[in-house]
Amino acid sequence: MRRVSVDIGGTFTDCFLAFDGQYVETKALTTHHNLASGFMEALQNACLELGRTVQEVLGSVDAVRYGTTLGTNALIQRNGPLVGLLTTAGFESSVPLMRARGYGDGLSDAEQTDLPGADRPIPLVKMSMIVGIQERVDYKGTAVLTVDEEDVRTQVRKLVDGGAQAFVVSLVNAVVNPAHEREVERIILSEYPTHVLGAIPIVLSHRVAGRKAEYSRTMSAVLDAYLHDQMYHGMSSLEIVLRQNGYKRPMLLVHNTSGMAQLNSTHALQTIHSGPVAGLEASNYISAQFKLPNIIATDMGGTSFDIGLVTADGVKFYDFNPVIDRWLVSSPMTYLHPLGAGGGSIARYDRLWDAVEVGPDSAGSDPGPACYGRGGKLPTTTDANLVLGYLDEHNYAGGTISVSKRRAERAIEEHICKPSGMTLIEAAKAIKRKVDANMASAIFKEVAVKGYNPKHFVILSYGGGGPIHACGYAGRLGIHKVLIPPFSSVFSALGAGNMDALHIHEKSLYLMLYDATKRTMLEDFVVFNATVAELESRGREDLVRQGVDTAAIKTRVELDMRYGNQLAQISVTSPLARLQSMQDVITLLDRFSVNYAQRFGEGSQAPEAGVRINVIRVVSYVEHERLNLVQSTASTPAQAVPTSHRECWFPDVQDGQMTAVYDYRAVSEGMTVVGPALIETPRTTYLIEPGWKLTMGLNSSAWLVKE
Amino acid sequence: MGGDQEKSIIEKFLEENVLFLGPDQEIMEDHSVVPTTPRETEALGQFADPDQINLVRHKLQTACNESFDMVEQMGAAPGAKWGDLISGVWTANGDLALASMGGVLIFSVLTQHPVKFILKYWKDDPTVGLKDGDIFMHNDARYGNIHNTDQSLVLPVFHNGELICFTGAIVHEGENGAIEPGGMPSAAESPFDEGLKMSPIKVGENYAFKRDIMTFLQNSVREPKLQLEGMKSKFFAAMRMKARVEEAIAEYGVAAVIATLRKTLTDTEAEVRRRLTCWPDGKIRTNVFADGTLRENCLIRIRCELHKKGDELIIDFRGSSPEFLNRPNNPVLASLKGMLAQEFLSFVWPDLPRNQAVFAPMTVLTDRRSALHSSADAPNAQSMMTFFPSFTAVQIAVPKYLYSSSHRATDIIAGWYNMIVTFIYGGVNQYGELVGNVCADLNGMGGAARWNRDGEHSMAPIFAPMADIGEQELIEEEVPLIKIVPHRLMQDAEGFGKFRGGHGYQQIATMKDTSMWGFMCCSIGSKFPTTYGIFGGYAPGTLPLCKVKGVNVFEIMKDKRELMRFTIPQIMNERPFPGAKYSTHHMGLQLEFAKPGELYMITQGGGGGYGDVLERDPELVSKDYLDGLISILSVNNIYRVLMDEKTGAVDYTATTAARLAERELRKARGKPYHEFVKEWETEAPPAAVPFYGSWKDRSLIYRGSPDDTCPADAIVPIMMPNPKDLRIAQLEAELDAMRGAGGARA
Repeated sequence: MRRVSVDIGGTFTDCFLAFDGQYVETKALTTHHNLASGFMEALQNACLELGRTVQEVLGSVDAVRYGTTLGTNALIQRNGPLVGLLTTAGFESSVPLMRARGYGDGLSDAEQTDLPGADRPIPLVKMSMIVGIQERVDYKGTAVLTVDEEDVRTQVRKLVDGGAQAFVVSLVNAVVNPAHEREVERIILSEYPTHVLGAIPIVLSHRVAGRKAEYSRTMSAVLDAYLHDQMYHGMSSLEIVLRQNGYKRPMLLVHNTSGMAQLNSTHALQTIHSGPVAGLEASNYISAQFKLPNIIATDMGGTSFDIGLVTADGVKFYDFNPVIDRWLVSSPMTYLHPLGAGGGSIARYDRLWDAVEVGPDSAGSDPGPACYGRGGKLPTTTDANLVLGYLDEHNYAGGTISVSKRRAERAIEEHICKPSGMTLIEAAKAIKRKVDANMASAIFKEVAVKGYNPKHFVILSYGGGGPIHACGYAGRLGIHKVLIPPFSSVFSALGAGNMDALHIHEKSLYLMLYDATKRTMLEDFVVFNATVAELESRGREDLVRQGVDTAAIKTRVELDMRYGNQLAQISVTSPLARLQSMQDVITLLDRFSVNYAQRFGEGSQAPEAGVRINVIRVVSYVEHERLNLVQSTASTPAQAVPTSHRECWFPDVQDGQMTAVYDYRAVSEGMTVVGPALIETPRTTYLIEPGWKLTMGLNSSAWLVKE
Repeated sequence: MGGDQEKSIIEKFLEENVLFLGPDQEIMEDHSVVPTTPRETEALGQFADPDQINLVRHKLQTACNESFDMVEQMGAAPGAKWGDLISGVWTANGDLALASMGGVLIFSVLTQHPVKFILKYWKDDPTVGLKDGDIFMHNDARYGNIHNTDQSLVLPVFHNGELICFTGAIVHEGENGAIEPGGMPSAAESPFDEGLKMSPIKVGENYAFKRDIMTFLQNSVREPKLQLEGMKSKFFAAMRMKARVEEAIAEYGVAAVIATLRKTLTDTEAEVRRRLTCWPDGKIRTNVFADGTLRENCLIRIRCELHKKGDELIIDFRGSSPEFLNRPNNPVLASLKGMLAQEFLSFVWPDLPRNQAVFAPMTVLTDRRSALHSSADAPNAQSMMTFFPSFTAVQIAVPKYLYSSSHRATDIIAGWYNMIVTFIYGGVNQYGELVGNVCADLNGMGGAARWNRDGEHSMAPIFAPMADIGEQELIEEEVPLIKIVPHRLMQDAEGFGKFRGGHGYQQIATMKDTSMWGFMCCSIGSKFPTTYGIFGGYAPGTLPLCKVKGVNVFEIMKDKRELMRFTIPQIMNERPFPGAKYSTHHMGLQLEFAKPGELYMITQGGGGGYGDVLERDPELVSKDYLDGLISILSVNNIYRVLMDEKTGAVDYTATTAARLAERELRKARGKPYHEFVKEWETEAPPAAVPFYGSWKDRSLIYRGSPDDTCPADAIVPIMMPNPKDLRIAQLEAELDAMRGAGGARA
């Protein structure tokens, strides 16, 4: 296998290079002005380690896989094109009103509950750039008001006069009958054909999202249009750089659906948050490879803490309505729960409870924690970790960031000790305890709300901040085993290197498997089978376009099912690709019942209220060759020699503990280090709390086990 | 036999011979937190570290949020889906100590009552009892809740035989078998028209519903499916939360849980008192008016006086309108308090925890049998029609304290829009099911203007953050309700001001593919605004219900598309459909069956404005104009801004001159206060307006005419004539007159 995988984050660009059985991890600073520079630097570092030239490597790899934050940046910077939206007449305010609740989408609980202080985000489509088309399709797909060509031309002209640089066409019930959207596209193209230089891209909503819900589908299309140009140019320029360096194949882009595809088969929206999703995909791989059926994947960075699940029953967790930046969309994404907690989370004294609270406000990386000395005055998690002795003032982040312990102390003294009367160490301990508890609660809720018991899981801890807090939050959850996975500091890039080419197509429908009012069961299977066939065909087209052999294509059918008119739609992996008998219907009902009970409790099922399928989803994929990482079984009585000792304080231990500090290079595979201890790497610190021990594995992986 | 002995015998006899256990006023009128019990004191002694308590609290709070998610996901009621619910943990005394972060916060002060009823009457009753595995439900608002469409469910949590707490949830379920579908009947003329009336009742034992009771409840409503799903969702959510409480006990000990629940209440009340202390002492008075009962137009006075002293706030509504014995617009006192708590939880201190102690430092004064403190004889399904304006009365008074307060938790605002302008529906859907419920669009109330910026358009109801107005495609999939216009911002529907309130939206609805379908509406404010601006800002305008009957708009779409219009003003002003009947009404519409393609049109109101319109930045005026939010009429005549109508370019010289001229005119119109009062004040309310409430003297209550009064401490409830009877009488009189005239002609 020869494969390059790159994941671009806010601070670092991570590279994972697999080359004839050798695995290399490298990093470079992200170059926001031109992402290709950081990309190539990280790759160059990797090639250097292999002793080969970049041209040599790029000329021989089978794929370059790329997870990008370009889309996220474009949203934050609001530098997309002026989008003109054509929607059904009467629905012009749907996007500006954001289902009312949109003021709080993407914000913390505290911000969501503050109604007087709440503001909607600056819109991606200005009100004056939204026009109504006089047409209407009903819920069944019947056109009750047809499209009037002259009306469309008039409205399009208004948008062009307003300066539209991209069109979004989103008409009501277009997923049931897309004829009107296509008709509008035809009319626009007749006025503004694609072959002229001033061609304006057109995005039709039904092509971006397949499920009903006009607001979130429209926003999916708007985001796609908004990001399209910038993504296209960014990707193309990177591809040019790769070609100049000898790469000849199409670049593969990592998708947030746990798959990847070529540029010609990628919507801009599918690339958002692809990095964290790739990390979860790597967790899936570790689960299979290390025979760990239940994994809670935790990724703690400077400003984020993402939680994902891998379960023994193989249930795929999706976010059907993810919030991207501040926008609710209806494009399915692999589910990850982002908790606004990282090293930058701000701690404060809460007068109400006479206790220390941490987050959700964050100092981020700019100004960052008080100890950074970049203007941040408020105490953060990182400041507490510094005061408690876990971090080395003189060697933080491998010496790349200079920190001041005195600044951290002062911030805690000023904002926590003064109002609460606590000593400095008590206050820092309280911060650590609360951070760990917050993470533990968030993990607990994520796992429990899906019907699982956290105690049956192993925690996977990766990202720069994870290994300092892993013992803390695992302990609070009653979980006694934590795995720091191999190549944990470039784990998302590793995940990107392990993905399949994959496409998801879905369609809303109203298919009663059991009609409780009429007391009848589904007997006509035509709609079900035809819909699956249509979605399979679309997936096949996507993959064939990328040169895939049809015979290699596999599919998985998933059904979103519900009881009665509940909100809960449980995604069920169908054991059947076609329905042929009543027994097949019963099989689906049984499968749904099991999944539902798993989540809400046995007996909570309500088939008496009727059962229906709301969405059929077909996942089409081609399996790619996997990496070969194995779990170490080595064990040695040899003891590593600490480089130093320093005093550390731990939340549940009264006095300071003289704690051994190790350089990671001194702790070889199979060695065990008993807590309290610290192992420092250039990118992170492993904190082994009292009562825990660490056993080092391969490729800087490690097991933390509570004794 | 001595006097004492005789008295004792009488008391014993009376106690043993109660006809039935109706609403207990002692429970219903007390919103204070039960004093710390010896058991709680003991627990606090064992588990006192605030940081540790904070960890336990965090765990239980997470559990509340988890069970909230479950109810939202598993519930079938439209209300459940957008979060018209809360889930929580009550102490062993029945006080709500912790509640979910999201949902309808009114409930946080309202849910204690049924639990306290269970503790007082059923716990030791040998025929009922309270034991592990019991499931209790309740929906009758006279025992707690807002109205009978809300259903609550609680489970007791025991540990080694000791009652530790209750877990449960309360949800706006919608349909409840009332005289009209959907659970909020504005046609109700007595509590017996309001559907299901569960006093707190044991509906299950050993963690299972009793099938006979479940059947009875399903049999009592139009949507048995909904009833089943609602009960199951609340039960399993309560069970999940019970499991979490048990886990907390296992991890931290039983004392930790008891101590945490108690400390949460105590600390919350102490914090509210601290915050009140930051306000200046003094009295602020406001008056607001409800302009109808949903059946007829009239003026219902809500008189409000806030008195802040030290760490206490007294909210005095004495002198307000009498109760309406045959109209459902009367809140029980507890509902009013719940709504007032909402003001403090959402709009003043949104950072406070959600529990009933938030309201403990407040005192509410009312006249018994007033429209804000109704008796058990009065219906209350639409109590919002008086308690929403009462909320506003407090909301527009509070900024006057906050301006001088040393502590603020959020922005100072004018009056939020406060009416549930949406359609309630009932009938047979496209799949042949009988359905009845309320549309989620009620959640798009216009946000109030802030002290430093405009209000947000149709943003959130006054009773819940993060509520949702839904997606039309999903609504159409379940019910045959077709919105030609689902949510379109209405021009000029704002409270004008230096900072304007957010706009509301218009809705144009019709239906198809059904054999029977009816619409209802339940809002006031079509004649007199229900919310207001502050510091010179305007109230938003009033808007009617409009109907177009005798048309099938789907046929128009098919054959005469050129007649189609997509705004209410266009339809009502241009009247494009030949032969159709156009009409306007107040927004109290009782169930009215419609024909396919007929149009029902309403408009959600806007938020109140803040500050003087002449101080509004002309560029903001121009932007609103270009966005279609305001007409050129408002630009010129309200804001006194002059601009190029095509480009929106402001003519600053002309604008400055126009504003100066307007200021001069204001001075010319102005007069000394005592002169104004002399001209304006009258001894009694005008005879031409049916006025309810006190006029000059709060101890004398007017009952609809200047000649009909009663003392405030002995209110005589109002009985309204049936508007249909009045109409018949009017028509008969006209007929008689015509017959007389005709006879003469003959």
